[in-house]
Amino acid sequence: MKQSKILKGLRVLLAILFFVPIFLYFVDFANLLPESLHNLLHIQLVPAILAGIIWILIAQFLLVLVFGRIYCSVICPAGVLQDIINRIYCIGKKKKKGSRRFVFRKPLNWLRYGLLGLTAVLAVFGSIELLLLLDPYSNFGRIVSNLFRPLVMWGNNLIADGLMKFDNYTLYHVTVESITIPAVIAGGSILLLFILMVTLRGRLFCNTLCPVGALLSLVSRYSFLSINFDKNSCIQCGKCEKSCKAEAINVETMEVDNSRCVDCFNCVTSCSKNALHYNMNPIFSKHKLVDKSAPIESQKAFASRRSFLTTGITVASSIPIVTAIAQHASHGKRRAHGKEDNSNWPPITPPGSLSLERFKDTCTGCHLCVVQCPTHILKPAVLEFGLGYLLKPHLDYDNSYCNYECTVCSDVCPNHAIKPLTKEEKVTTQVGIAHFFKNRCIVEIDGTDCGACSEHCPTQAVKMVPYKGDLRIPKVEPEICIGCGGCESICPARPDRAIIVKANVVHQFASKPKVEEIKEIEVDEFGF
Amino acid sequence: MKRRDFLKTSAVAGAALTLNFEGLQAALSSNTVAVEKAPDLVAVMGGEPAVMLNKALEALGGIGKFVKKGQKVVIKPNIGWDRSPEMAGNTNPQLVEALVKKCLAAGAQKVTVFDHTCDNWQKCYETSGIAAAVKRAGGVIVPGNDEKYYKNVSIPNGVTLKNAMIHESLIEADVWINVPVLKNHGGAKLTCAMKNYMGIVWDRRFFHSNDLQQCIADICTWNKKPVLNIVDAYRIMHHNGPQGKSLADVAQLKTLIASPNIVATDTAALKFFNQVEKLDISAVGHIKKGEALKLGTSNLDKITIKRIKI
Repeated sequence: MKQSKILKGLRVLLAILFFVPIFLYFVDFANLLPESLHNLLHIQLVPAILAGIIWILIAQFLLVLVFGRIYCSVICPAGVLQDIINRIYCIGKKKKKGSRRFVFRKPLNWLRYGLLGLTAVLAVFGSIELLLLLDPYSNFGRIVSNLFRPLVMWGNNLIADGLMKFDNYTLYHVTVESITIPAVIAGGSILLLFILMVTLRGRLFCNTLCPVGALLSLVSRYSFLSINFDKNSCIQCGKCEKSCKAEAINVETMEVDNSRCVDCFNCVTSCSKNALHYNMNPIFSKHKLVDKSAPIESQKAFASRRSFLTTGITVASSIPIVTAIAQHASHGKRRAHGKEDNSNWPPITPPGSLSLERFKDTCTGCHLCVVQCPTHILKPAVLEFGLGYLLKPHLDYDNSYCNYECTVCSDVCPNHAIKPLTKEEKVTTQVGIAHFFKNRCIVEIDGTDCGACSEHCPTQAVKMVPYKGDLRIPKVEPEICIGCGGCESICPARPDRAIIVKANVVHQFASKPKVEEIKEIEVDEFGF
Repeated sequence: MKRRDFLKTSAVAGAALTLNFEGLQAALSSNTVAVEKAPDLVAVMGGEPAVMLNKALEALGGIGKFVKKGQKVVIKPNIGWDRSPEMAGNTNPQLVEALVKKCLAAGAQKVTVFDHTCDNWQKCYETSGIAAAVKRAGGVIVPGNDEKYYKNVSIPNGVTLKNAMIHESLIEADVWINVPVLKNHGGAKLTCAMKNYMGIVWDRRFFHSNDLQQCIADICTWNKKPVLNIVDAYRIMHHNGPQGKSLADVAQLKTLIASPNIVATDTAALKFFNQVEKLDISAVGHIKKGEALKLGTSNLDKITIKRIKI
């Protein structure tokens, strides 16, 4: 087999090996896949940066430095998704209108580096909304969890209902509940954007809007290996240029813009003269430095660096305005709410997130925790907690509660926005405290037994204590309450529940419930 | 009639006759040995769950009295919580396993087990050991996690509860057996046979917001009543129920109570429970309310009780 075909085949194979498990992991509503799959997500660049995993960053840096932006074609699920969209678009089309529909265009450096700078600066100043909206991995997560996953679940339900008629319960009916309309819109609009950009301009997203693409491009310019023209064999037929999704090949000058090339090797396979090679970057070989193209190279690099600097400065100067707008938006929203005593309480952040502020600064809303939560209590917010909490998950105890010993969300979070917890840490992590409103309680209002809250309390922080006659009424012991929401989720009082968890803006540690002594109890009689 | 058909029918009829005859003879012989008829309630103490079940069923006249050949049977244990068997949060899996086997041995066409759990259903089914036990015994464990599995039925004799969404496997069943575990309960005070009905319905919130004790009694008036209530008191949870916090809430008492009379079952269970933890019958409101709805008697002197100690 030709070297060209091996290269492309290897790229496709690796892409599948990364993409399929990640895709299935987001879809896996029945928790069939091993939890360790989340490791594939820790190597995603933005999560690795936010989690501060240095060795991954170094490895990624070396990977680009040696191979170029192979990351965008293999590791990044959003990149591979775009390739799949492109592939689907090309089905049944002639090459001219399909796989060879692209032309060389100049890089939009001001845009990509401008956005990169703005994103970075905003993130450093603790406002990661832009990163949340642009990060390819998080966008991919939102697309799969809010669009593909529900589809698969509905499909499952159809089959499960069919099988049920034959007494087969291998598949079971699942409740599609963790999706919200805004999250569907968020996932849907980015998918639409991908489709639009890919069909019109190939990997335009990766080379304009994507901060990861822009960041990698800074290194890939100087990557050791790159795609190069063999100027003696090239007949300038233009097939390579037309097959370049990144619009990075200029056949006239016989140059490949390494800052935009994503190493898909489509050009290499398209070339019938074998004039494109993936080999040592000419900037590293001495005798080619004297080549006349060299000055142009460096000039270009200089130009882009200049534009990077100017955009950086513009961005930096606009920060105060942006943050002011963001803060204003969040405040305005919260004030608009507060007609009731508990409706303007802050969001409850997942156990392991340590504090609201920290969580806001590190979560990019990929919704992996949302899909992995076994009790489906993590719901992506819209604007109810302000712009700073946009699309980030919060604990919603409307229908269920946080399993006492469960640590799934903290185990899987690739950003470490939810830090890993041991079981022991989890059962004492106090994300909030239950607040009891006696005036709404069934026992008080109707004078009948209830106790649903206490029934669901794993620590008996909500305990039924003697009340009028035989009645018992709940009482909260805040020190041992962990804010799991067992009580709130089951409280039958309406319109407002009588027991509601109020978030700890900074998570606390609850004391462990007192260990009671085990007494030997013996009974020899029936008692009747 | 064709000759072949005639031969077939007569062969079947003959077989049926001999069967009947054997049955009759068995009944006759047992009658001659023990003239007393089966007791209304049986209590067994001191054995392993399967052994106690055997003794109880034997005393009640055998499983064949309750489960007939070819019937669809549902067994409804309490699988409400993500708790291991030692914690007594759920019905003992060994008891469930033995009962499934009994029903299948009696010729049941199919034995189904489910509960509308409180904790995550998969975790409950697994940690309780009941899913594995049912599969071992040859029964079918079905999910109850989605509204989809429940159908609306009317409860004409209910005082407050007039209709409820009940799990379809019960609606389709020919007979069902109620197999609760005996526990202290923060809301209902005691959970046993009547309270175990809450696991057959979808919308429990209605119960809690509309006089819990009355709704428990009401749901028990649903016209398809369990043929038998079997209380698992092998381990009981006397404190911090229904979930329990630690082993300090549990006592191993190795007891089993069985009766078709649900009010008598719960009354007996309460009296048994009272030896560990004092609890007045008036506090467990649903028992008396059930009696008022003619579901059975709380006067244990009025019924025949057989007490077996192993």
